[in-house]
Amino acid sequence: MSRDVLLSVRDLRVDFPVDRKTFTAVRDVSFDVYRGETFSLVGESGSGKTTIGRAIMRIHPASSGEVLFEGRRVSGRIDAASERLLRQRIQMIFQDPMASLNERAKIDYIVSEGLYNFKLFKDEAERREKVERALRDVGLLPEFATRFPHEFSGGQRQRIGIARALVMEPELLIADEPISALDVSIRAQVINLMNRLKREKSLTYFFIAHDLSVVRFISDRIAVIHRGRIVELAGAEELFARPLHPYTRALLSAVPVPDPDAEAGKRLTTYDPARAHDYSREAPAWREALPGHFVLGTEGETAGWVGGSSGTP
Amino acid sequence: MIRTIPEVPAELFRPAAFDEAAAERTGYARYSYWRSTFRTFLKSPVSIFLLALIVVLTTASFVYPLFAHMDLGAVNLDTETWNLSPNRDHVFGTDGLGRDIWALTWYGTRTSLLLGFVIALLDVGIGMIAGALWGYVRKLDRIMTELYNVLNNIPQTVFLVLLAYIMRPGFWTIVTALCSTGWIGIARFVRNKVITIRDAEYNVASRCLGTPLRRMITKNVLPYLVSILIMEAALTIPYSIGSEVFLGFIGLGLPIDTISLGNLVNQGKNNFMLYPYQLTWPTVILAAITVSFYIVGNRFSDASDPRNHV
Amino acid sequence: MSGDTILEVRDLRVSFSLRGRRLTALRGAGLDLRKGETLAVVGESGSGKSVLAKTFLGMLDRNGRVDSGSILFDGKDLARYNKEREWLGIRGKRIAMIFQDPMTALNPLKTVGEQIREAAALHRGLDRVASRAVVLETLSRVGIPEPELRYRQYPHEFSGGMRQRAVIAAAVACRPEILICDEPTTALDVTVQAQILDLIKSLQRELGMTVLFITHDLGVVASVAQRVAVMYSGQVIEEGSVREVFYDPRAPYTWALLASLPQLGVKGEELYSIKGTPPSLFKEVVGDAFAPRNPRALEVDFKHEPPVFPVSDTHWARTWLLDPRAPRIEAPETVRRLRARLARGGAGAAATGGADTGKGGAE
Repeated sequence: MSRDVLLSVRDLRVDFPVDRKTFTAVRDVSFDVYRGETFSLVGESGSGKTTIGRAIMRIHPASSGEVLFEGRRVSGRIDAASERLLRQRIQMIFQDPMASLNERAKIDYIVSEGLYNFKLFKDEAERREKVERALRDVGLLPEFATRFPHEFSGGQRQRIGIARALVMEPELLIADEPISALDVSIRAQVINLMNRLKREKSLTYFFIAHDLSVVRFISDRIAVIHRGRIVELAGAEELFARPLHPYTRALLSAVPVPDPDAEAGKRLTTYDPARAHDYSREAPAWREALPGHFVLGTEGETAGWVGGSSGTP
Repeated sequence: MIRTIPEVPAELFRPAAFDEAAAERTGYARYSYWRSTFRTFLKSPVSIFLLALIVVLTTASFVYPLFAHMDLGAVNLDTETWNLSPNRDHVFGTDGLGRDIWALTWYGTRTSLLLGFVIALLDVGIGMIAGALWGYVRKLDRIMTELYNVLNNIPQTVFLVLLAYIMRPGFWTIVTALCSTGWIGIARFVRNKVITIRDAEYNVASRCLGTPLRRMITKNVLPYLVSILIMEAALTIPYSIGSEVFLGFIGLGLPIDTISLGNLVNQGKNNFMLYPYQLTWPTVILAAITVSFYIVGNRFSDASDPRNHV
Repeated sequence: MSGDTILEVRDLRVSFSLRGRRLTALRGAGLDLRKGETLAVVGESGSGKSVLAKTFLGMLDRNGRVDSGSILFDGKDLARYNKEREWLGIRGKRIAMIFQDPMTALNPLKTVGEQIREAAALHRGLDRVASRAVVLETLSRVGIPEPELRYRQYPHEFSGGMRQRAVIAAAVACRPEILICDEPTTALDVTVQAQILDLIKSLQRELGMTVLFITHDLGVVASVAQRVAVMYSGQVIEEGSVREVFYDPRAPYTWALLASLPQLGVKGEELYSIKGTPPSLFKEVVGDAFAPRNPRALEVDFKHEPPVFPVSDTHWARTWLLDPRAPRIEAPETVRRLRARLARGGAGAAATGGADTGKGGAE
């Protein structure tokens, strides 16, 4: 895995107008995604994780901060060429396979939509060939192209969504909770597929999820987000072995794992930001507490967490 | 918990060949939205009957005049034929000019239905595009809502009367009068539906792929509106015909020499005390059309709601 | 049957009439619910787990009916009940249920306290004062702070997690013998879910309730239950203690389910994915319902439905693999790893969640 930065998010802030006031969904978010890795962002509902994904895709405008792709700015006011770059090189996979496909359009159109938008084919034959290849890559038969989404199961629909992203030959795939709406036994199918495609097509993944234990299996690095701010970022195994931030620890203790003995030995810790921190005198900063392991905290706090970390509670 | 193990030959305890392709075969019902919609709609005998009634009345009113060759303008000075009660020659009697009421009613229905169809088409056509843009383009919301508030609160009656007074009474006057305020109601309906669709994941997906607004409206939004639009059209027709009748009552409807349900009813009501039959038949047809379109429109709307598809 | 079984289901068959056809939701389901413990019923969509729970309260949709089988509770067969009057003595009073969406049980137009009070008064025969006291005590017991204030509030003033607590309070205030939980935490955030699960566990201990917990999440099963029943296509295909089913599963479907979990997977290796889709509930099933998707199926699986085979006093499974005549079939890698842990004495990695990283520890 190279250390070549593919996506860079710097001090991202996203505000939403609500009634007369503004609601800050995401603030001070900074991270890099390296080429070839699977970078996961984990948080609960309302944490802002989906907002970050959508801000990168320019669905929500970034209120401040910037997003760089291959060194080129793709947030804020950009020229048509940069927008084109974004829309082709970065693709998104969505959560709900029942809602992310246009029910009234044929699979052929759904998969080709991006190709049409940017005229990425010489002629009809080439377009059809690209669609066929994409469908086969995800394990579906090319003859499915003439059917409608409602004729397929949830797992197959999710694979159609992946084909739609793949046909654009992207470099970065943003996957917004791609398996949470699927049945347990179908999830394995999609996870295997995504891992295989990553190897075959040299893809980079930015994976957004809420289940920390699932994310461990596929991720190289994991970031934890709480109420719009990233509180911890580390390699996957490192995060599980030495969680520093109290929210991360609470999250880890809360996620139920399919292992009765492990569950029996667990004690639930809760996270109350008001009690866990005192930010009246010193504001927390994003620090590298251990090599490659970042955490949001004051100097004192961070030292304490590092010192006290000998394993999860 | 243990049941007796059935007699099973021992040789069956062999690993079976695993057919992966067979496992992939999808095995669940093919659901087609439109097929389910029509099936749900046609479940009720009332719906079928009224739909058939509409078809019959519409066909009759357009086909009859082709064969009847009645000269509506002819002045019939044979007073013997004037205001006849229903008899063998004239099943529903004759009017003040000796014209057969049965025949007149079909001519009148044709005119009124034509009026209704034209208004429905224009209203729905304009309303559909306006509503789709209104719902989709957030910046338009403010100004369109203001426009809606203005147009919607204009007293329809007064406006109708005013316009009919300014422009001379005629077919296109009524069309203009009703369409100029009617489209916004449909636009509002469409806009609400579009707003619910707008943030659906498949639309976000299209935006992420860079799909232009034009194609998003035509491929992502409009196909979902078809059922609403059919319903709105079905409800606009009786409303238009009713408005025409009302205008006729106050003397601002279609010209007297035009045969329409409105004029027939109007003239019929004038003579009601003497010749009640001159009012009855046109009114029956008017009621049949109005009620049928209204009920069918509503039932179709119910049937097109996927939640009602069992 | 052991003496402390409180509810016994045998060979239950339930079907629904849909679009003129017959849909079989339960095809001979059976399980034992033991007094004072939590039994988790786990299955995917279409397995019939929710339908099973609804039969215990006579809450099947109007187009459904119990075709055959028995549900024995306190000497009575609930499967035979078909009049609302018969259910009045059971529903809410002896068997209570909470759902995924708390708003299915809460009336938005009444204060929370009043709703619970009415139920408590009705089922426990208490007067106004006494029932109000019970409600306040229960609200506090389920962890709702300021019960006096909350009593007077309406459901929309409660957060999602609080609403679920309120619903639990309503169910528990009537001191039922059995509490059925139908995916109560699926729609909740992870941290809130953990708190609710903790609550249910402690309530069960304090009140000596028996809990039937329906879920599709095997992590939740490991967390709340003492025993688990695995359902597939309208039948219970394996039942045992959680340790038995997780560390020594015997039914091929249970193997496939465990092997497909990323939490139990080894990084870099492919997860086992179950091919195909569950069989259509409209068609009659011949033999083992899982056979077409099971690469380890025997020929007999396609012809005869497997009966129940015991594995131990507390563990049984419906699979021909347990028949003495069956050949030795190797379980998937994941299952073999789990079995090895059982042999070593259980808890592998401490409390990190136990997910296997593949490194360290000879298997």
